[in-house]
Amino acid sequence: MTPDQLLERIAAVLRKEIGPAVAAEYPRTQAFMASVVLQKLARQLASAEAHRAAGAADMDALVADLDATLASAATPPGIVAAVAALARGRDDAALCALIEALYRDRAALGAPRFDALLGRVRRTMRAGIDRRLEYAA
Amino acid sequence: MSGAADQAFEARVLDYLAGKMPDGRDFALANVQRIAVGWSHETWLFDLTWREGGESRSRGLCLRRDPGDTLLRHLSSLETQFRVLRCLDDTALPTPKAFWFESDPAILDKPFLVMEKVPGSCPSPWGREGRAFYQAAADRGVLPASFTASLATLHTLDWRTAGLDFLGEPAPGTGFARREIAKWRELIDLSGHAPEPILTDLIAWLEENAPATERVTLVHGAYRAGNLLIHEDRVSAVLDWELQVLGDPMYDVAYVLSDLNREGTELLSNLVDRDAFYRDYEAATGFAIDDKVCRYYNALYAMRSVAFWMSASGLHAEGRSQDLRLARTAWSVPVVLERAAKELGY
Repeated sequence: MTPDQLLERIAAVLRKEIGPAVAAEYPRTQAFMASVVLQKLARQLASAEAHRAAGAADMDALVADLDATLASAATPPGIVAAVAALARGRDDAALCALIEALYRDRAALGAPRFDALLGRVRRTMRAGIDRRLEYAA
Repeated sequence: MSGAADQAFEARVLDYLAGKMPDGRDFALANVQRIAVGWSHETWLFDLTWREGGESRSRGLCLRRDPGDTLLRHLSSLETQFRVLRCLDDTALPTPKAFWFESDPAILDKPFLVMEKVPGSCPSPWGREGRAFYQAAADRGVLPASFTASLATLHTLDWRTAGLDFLGEPAPGTGFARREIAKWRELIDLSGHAPEPILTDLIAWLEENAPATERVTLVHGAYRAGNLLIHEDRVSAVLDWELQVLGDPMYDVAYVLSDLNREGTELLSNLVDRDAFYRDYEAATGFAIDDKVCRYYNALYAMRSVAFWMSASGLHAEGRSQDLRLARTAWSVPVVLERAAKELGY
């Protein structure tokens, strides 16, 4: 049995056997909530490796696309630095910093480039949130 | 609380109330009902009976106590709630009469307020029974009109005369929206949550597109079915005074219009026909509903929802609450982030 399967089974026991047997409202609610939490954890655990790999591939593609876009025209230094930091860190903090830099330098970028760059970042974020919804929704 | 703890608590409540009513004697509590546990303020409803001037008397009361770990953290203040209710007492808006507020922990361990128990019920719109209740009320047509009329009363009352200026008038122009963004950003920062790129995008977009406020009114902040007490098919009291501000009335209107507040129905807040709401609200207030501004506030509500769930799950993660309902909200964060992405068009 894998860890996620174990969590699913414990969640089922909490939901079907323990929760209904508890008379008092507050602890009964807690038993059902424990079941929900374990079920979501199980799904998150089951998909963790696939999601990590997909996230890394998405980040690689984003960095490559941003590098290509930046090479095609002069770009405000704050955005160049933010893309470089994203290429090094490849994490959410660096992505947040890039988004802030895009909005900060929006006027210097001009509307078409701002829309293109932010649109590309948003494509990566959309894919990421879709993956998270697989276990969160 | 255990049975013994409940009895001890009720005895302390009784002592407190007896002290507030020196002309009475033979005080007793009846029909004690605890209606909320650990999510927001703790709430007890009960009937107080006593003798005074040779007569038996009775009064329905509601006691709300701050557990110190509500999801709004420092942004939720029972003292502010008490002051708001006192200010609203002399207005046309139906609200519970507030009697006392105490911050001394020697009395009931934590700050609390005592207010009137207003007749009525408050069905949750999220369950099957609640939805059926509001659908039946919608079919009769009386409660929907009362819903809209109460919101119009809230938005047209003279908040300066009522003494509500202590809530703080926003700076002119985009001050209201920016103040809300700052407030929810503060709650997000306090939660200690990991960086969320969609949230960063949303906040930057909100700051860039903040609308100018045309007029400043009292704003409830969570005006919907479920936060209104209903008696004889009408709103008997507007409840949940935790998010009120002085600001743009379209903030409340956007909440009424929001998909967040209806489930499996086209009726706004599970209750009101959209066209009727526009017609009746605009006629009663003289304010034109600005759909573009309402769409902006809908995106701001997405940020607020993220702040709520980050704060709630953070309270559990920090060990300040053991309530697993708060732990569960960690998975609500991506759900509202996805909604935020949709609001931004992706």
